[in-house]
Amino acid sequence: MHNCNCKSHGNVNILTRRNFLDRSFKVGLGVALSTLVDIPLVVKRALAEGNIGVVGPNGRVKKLLFIFLRGANDSLNSVVPMLDPSYMNLSTGQSPIRPVIAIPPDGATNYTTLGAADFPVSGTGPTFGYANAIRLGNGFAALHPSLKFLAPVYNAGDLALIHRVGYPKQSRSHFDSQNYWETGSPNNNTSKDGILYRTMVESGLANAEPLTGVSIQSSLPLILRGSNAAMTNLSDPARYSLFGIPSGNTAAANKVKLALADANNLPTAEKNYRGLLNLQYKNLNDTLATFADLQDEFNETNGISYVDGAVTDNDFAYRLFPTSNALNGGYTRGGGVVDAAKYVVDTGAYGFFRNLRAASVVLNKTNAIVAGTEFGGFDTHSNQGGITGGHANLQRRIGWAIYALRQYFTQYADKASWDDLVVITLSEFGRTTVQNSDLGTDHAEAGVMFVAGGGVKGYGAGNANGVFGCSPSDTVPWISGPADQTGGIDGSMFGVSNRYLKRAYDYRSVLGKLIRDHPGATQNQLNRIIPGYTDTREKLQAGGLSTIDNTQIMGEPNII
Amino acid sequence: MRPASKSSDRGITASRPQSLATVLIVLSSALSLAIVRAADPSPPVITGVALTNGQQRVTFSPSPAAQQYKFFRTFDLTQPFLEDTTATISGFDGVAATVGNLGFYRVQAVPMNSSDLLTANVLNRLAYGPTPDELERVRAMGADAYIQEQLAPEGISENLDIDVVNPSGGWQYVTATGNGSSSTLYVYLTRRGEGYIDDLKLVRGPVPEAGTNLLRNGDFELLLTTNDWTISTNHMGSGITTAVKYSGNASLYMTASIGGTTRDSSVWQTISPSLSAAQTYTLSYWFLPGSNTYSSDVTVRLSGEGIVATPGTLATRLLQGRALLSELRAWHVLHAVRSKKQLLETLLQFFDNHFVTQYDKSEVYFDGFYSSTLTPNEEDRAAVNMEFKELQRWRQALLNPQCTFYDLLRISAESPAMIIYLDTVTSAGNGTSVANENYARELLELFTFGVDNGYDQNDIVETSKTWTGWRVRYVDPVNEFHPFAGFAGGATGINTVSNQVGVWAFNYRQDRHNNTAKTIFPGKTVPARFGAPWAGRNYQLSLPARSGTNSVQDGYAVLTHVANQPFTSEYICVKLCRLFIHDNFPNPTTHTDLPEYGYYDYSNLSQLTPEAQLVHACMLAWENGNPKGQIRDVLRVIFNSDLFRSHGGSLQKIKTPFEFTVSAIRALRAAGTNGTFTANTDGAALIAPVSRMGNMNLFDRAEPDGYAEGAGPWVSAGTLAERIRWITAYCAGGGGDAGNSSASPVTLLQLKLPQSSLTDAGAVADYFLGILLPGEGPANLAVYRTLAVNYLNDGAADPAATRTTPFSGLPVSTAAASGYSIRVRGMVALLMGTPRFQEQ
Repeated sequence: MHNCNCKSHGNVNILTRRNFLDRSFKVGLGVALSTLVDIPLVVKRALAEGNIGVVGPNGRVKKLLFIFLRGANDSLNSVVPMLDPSYMNLSTGQSPIRPVIAIPPDGATNYTTLGAADFPVSGTGPTFGYANAIRLGNGFAALHPSLKFLAPVYNAGDLALIHRVGYPKQSRSHFDSQNYWETGSPNNNTSKDGILYRTMVESGLANAEPLTGVSIQSSLPLILRGSNAAMTNLSDPARYSLFGIPSGNTAAANKVKLALADANNLPTAEKNYRGLLNLQYKNLNDTLATFADLQDEFNETNGISYVDGAVTDNDFAYRLFPTSNALNGGYTRGGGVVDAAKYVVDTGAYGFFRNLRAASVVLNKTNAIVAGTEFGGFDTHSNQGGITGGHANLQRRIGWAIYALRQYFTQYADKASWDDLVVITLSEFGRTTVQNSDLGTDHAEAGVMFVAGGGVKGYGAGNANGVFGCSPSDTVPWISGPADQTGGIDGSMFGVSNRYLKRAYDYRSVLGKLIRDHPGATQNQLNRIIPGYTDTREKLQAGGLSTIDNTQIMGEPNII
Repeated sequence: MRPASKSSDRGITASRPQSLATVLIVLSSALSLAIVRAADPSPPVITGVALTNGQQRVTFSPSPAAQQYKFFRTFDLTQPFLEDTTATISGFDGVAATVGNLGFYRVQAVPMNSSDLLTANVLNRLAYGPTPDELERVRAMGADAYIQEQLAPEGISENLDIDVVNPSGGWQYVTATGNGSSSTLYVYLTRRGEGYIDDLKLVRGPVPEAGTNLLRNGDFELLLTTNDWTISTNHMGSGITTAVKYSGNASLYMTASIGGTTRDSSVWQTISPSLSAAQTYTLSYWFLPGSNTYSSDVTVRLSGEGIVATPGTLATRLLQGRALLSELRAWHVLHAVRSKKQLLETLLQFFDNHFVTQYDKSEVYFDGFYSSTLTPNEEDRAAVNMEFKELQRWRQALLNPQCTFYDLLRISAESPAMIIYLDTVTSAGNGTSVANENYARELLELFTFGVDNGYDQNDIVETSKTWTGWRVRYVDPVNEFHPFAGFAGGATGINTVSNQVGVWAFNYRQDRHNNTAKTIFPGKTVPARFGAPWAGRNYQLSLPARSGTNSVQDGYAVLTHVANQPFTSEYICVKLCRLFIHDNFPNPTTHTDLPEYGYYDYSNLSQLTPEAQLVHACMLAWENGNPKGQIRDVLRVIFNSDLFRSHGGSLQKIKTPFEFTVSAIRALRAAGTNGTFTANTDGAALIAPVSRMGNMNLFDRAEPDGYAEGAGPWVSAGTLAERIRWITAYCAGGGGDAGNSSASPVTLLQLKLPQSSLTDAGAVADYFLGILLPGEGPANLAVYRTLAVNYLNDGAADPAATRTTPFSGLPVSTAAASGYSIRVRGMVALLMGTPRFQEQ
């Protein structure tokens, strides 16, 4: 576990920079700050409250990396409630609700044992040869074996697994629910600003610094969209230039580029998208040079190699970002022998890892505060598989991504280090507890979030374990269910007759906790970033009975 | 409708007291007397006044679609403002000489002629943007006549070469030209079947059969030897036959047990001496399909695909189920670019995207369930064929003047692509099976009612039970629409279907159906906000217990029931309004606690926005038709609306990547002499760019919500970089990012401008501004004109000889390396790279 100094810089940093302005003047400026494009950067930063984007005592800024798991991850097969008799009958090894797709227990493992998570190391054997649920050591939960590379991160205390995360009146529509996660405003379709966009606006740096929030994917996600400041999206970092002309006529490309910059400054009549276009054209112009300088970092083939600093999986040191067969785990072994059983991720994952690498490089080599990417395929209505199969392959990507990010930001830390980084996953909802006739699962409610970082309070690092919301000691009421035949707990975290998990945490409590206590928003800022915080019915901070839908929730988890 | 010409104005007035200090007085309230209508643009606003050198400089913000800006002035507010004709206006500021000590100024925007604006609107919305020729034609015929023409595509005659279908049977001549990517030539049937090949020739250069045949025994007059052709296992039985030949005494009889893909599954030859990758070659041969035209398809190609020669036009290959995804996309692109039936094309794209399905999902399904009987080639083609058939059925439906939404919905529901896409294909409701909810949910959420609009989770679960037993099967073509048909050729299973002409179709498995009685929308009534005639209607759907083949009626009963509920008409009308007007029509809802509920509260019609009123008018047109739900009825309401016909429908939307690239080809595509055009694409060349500009992959979207109409996914620094890269390559003459898409703006100028104007930078700039940005308003284009003229006069990218030559001194030339061509092409790329050309 790395020492967490996340609370220590709170009061020391910025007051001197703010002294020339009366602090009381700042009250009420609120969200409009970033739109004041004419005031100098230093003034804007000084006007902003809080510490988002402020360089801390160690010379670094607290940063955030997000990964959106599109399609709704089947959380019950990610972090498995192994001791819940509704999920698994441990005496028969059969699942009453998931006869085919459940993750089976290891008969030789006592899942009630408390302690560190098991890490089934394979050496030169098949990487994912272990075919049972991995004991997490909280006496209840287990990991899908495809998530095995989370174990070392978990055991270092750097991982929080937060189960039963949702929101009131959960929408089962992918598109609405993704929007709600990204805007931070559930059941509000008129909210058009992303939650991380608002976080960047509150930093006072948006529109002043060329890079604040960055995504690496096909298009700018809603989580970073907003009408008053430009966040940056690179659809393909290797192609981020204006040189599409075959002859490579540099003079012609430059001439067009300069003229386009002039064109963007021309006044225009009002139309729906002209503000958006102007901001994004300007952002393009402002960021071309930065990314041109990072091309070698983005590209393993011509550029720089990032390798695990330790022996990986008792084999040898693997590449951190598997973007081709040759870079994928132990596939290319010494002496030119290839071995597909030594892949750490499926061969369809390379695009995602190219994007993840670029997002990591952006955080590590530029002043960007937030970066992220996404991958899809989680809408597993049919044939999702269990230990192996489609869903298992997706889990491998999550597990390896978090493992690799920890190594990258530890070994190669420049402007971002593992201690100053939090990695979060988002997914729009969980899936039905019961398998359907297609051996898949349908849309349901609460799901799981993975939160990792050097400052995270996981196993042995401020918390006895790193599992939240998947333990009988959770304070939210357990649903009554069948008696446990092995003498363990009765009842269920979800209940046999219910086809979905009810939420124990609101996703806004998790994101709110992180935004306030990691990059460092004030509570007032957080109230603007997540409007639900000011609604007394929601109970987002302290937990209690949410009177929106009369559901008991736990409030902010103690994860940072 | 708005009046033909109406000016709007508002100003900040400047007075100049004797001290010479400028005092600003806001008089906006006195000047905004005109009734603000839905479609009215905001007037110009004076943003600055400065006195320099004895002249008053007044700066103002632009007003949309301004034809001209005028200055008015008075020296005494009790007197009327008079036009100051001495003022010189340049861009968005004007300079007037001061007279006396005091002046009050107003700026007025004279709007564009309303028919010019409507012309721009209809070509940007009903069509994939104007072409130079269409702009002239619509101006001459009038925008309303164009709307009428487009609303009746069955009356538009055209014969596109891409729609030509080769006669079936008989010898076909096939040629292809390309580079010598390898010296190994493959000949293979792509599916099991048979056929004949004769007179196979490969020659240097671009002319078929001109020169020495580089292949050994390509006329197939001699018995095959391993010295000339090697036969792989799957083609065993192939050989020389004298029974059938195109010329000489013999031909090559091809037979395949399974389709080929590469050397080890082909009849192949290593060409000696080796070919050169830098050299152009031309392949030609004659092909005679076997007795079974569907299952016989040959590919002749070089390794590395420098040359690929397959028989048949795109249309032929699509109709015969032989086309690949790239061919379907190319065909779709070429229709969007070339067809005169532009509204039909935009509607097809809209409904294909609304009822979205995914090529890849079908391909994976076949691979998962039929990989032992279908080769990868066959899986690909079957998946493409399902996408093509959907599109063709919708095309036929939309050509019917009374086409209804139900017609389109039913085509979607019966499409094997949809049945596979949303997992109905394996869903079962018999016994203890829990039906898959995927299709039921998206049917209500995305295809008919709209999210949160009139249904809940229980309705989804109940609806999912009706969609059990809906599967797909390979059947005889005559049984394509017979859901109880057996396998093609009377086979007992897909594994025993062999070498049969067949088609994948919806097939009903009664033994997988949930036969119980079902009640969907129990006790539900249409909420009050709908007003008359809908509010209060009970829309419960009760389905009796049914068994046997009769139980297929469950699904059809649901389709019939939901197709014309007000939730459906509302949601579809909202989507059509977004398509044709602007994106700010929120999703309707029946949840009273959401703000959108009140937005569409038709019980309170007079208080609603013009947008909500228009949706209501569309819904009435839907409801009052006989039959209900006729698409053209709704379109007529939209096209006649104030919102569509002026500012509200003008340049308020961002082109999708597909619209952007197609509109860019069209914008520079004028008919020249001898059937040539000044801009071209082979269609396939747009596939990669459209994908790069935001992951838009036609016929292959993973998510069932379709590609967005709104700008969100399409506008970011990364995607704009891709647009600029593509447009510069395209204007530069193709290649690079543009591949086989290219334009010759100089040739276009030569067609459209008098010789004397070709070196007049202002005339050249004006011409392109006029065809590229026809709805912006000439007065607002002045600043772009300055930019374009400066660009034309700047030789920075020229060869050394003309680097310092002004535009007027350049010799006119179409040669790519000439200064004239470089400047014109660059200036056009600049205009098409600006934010303005991203709008429609």
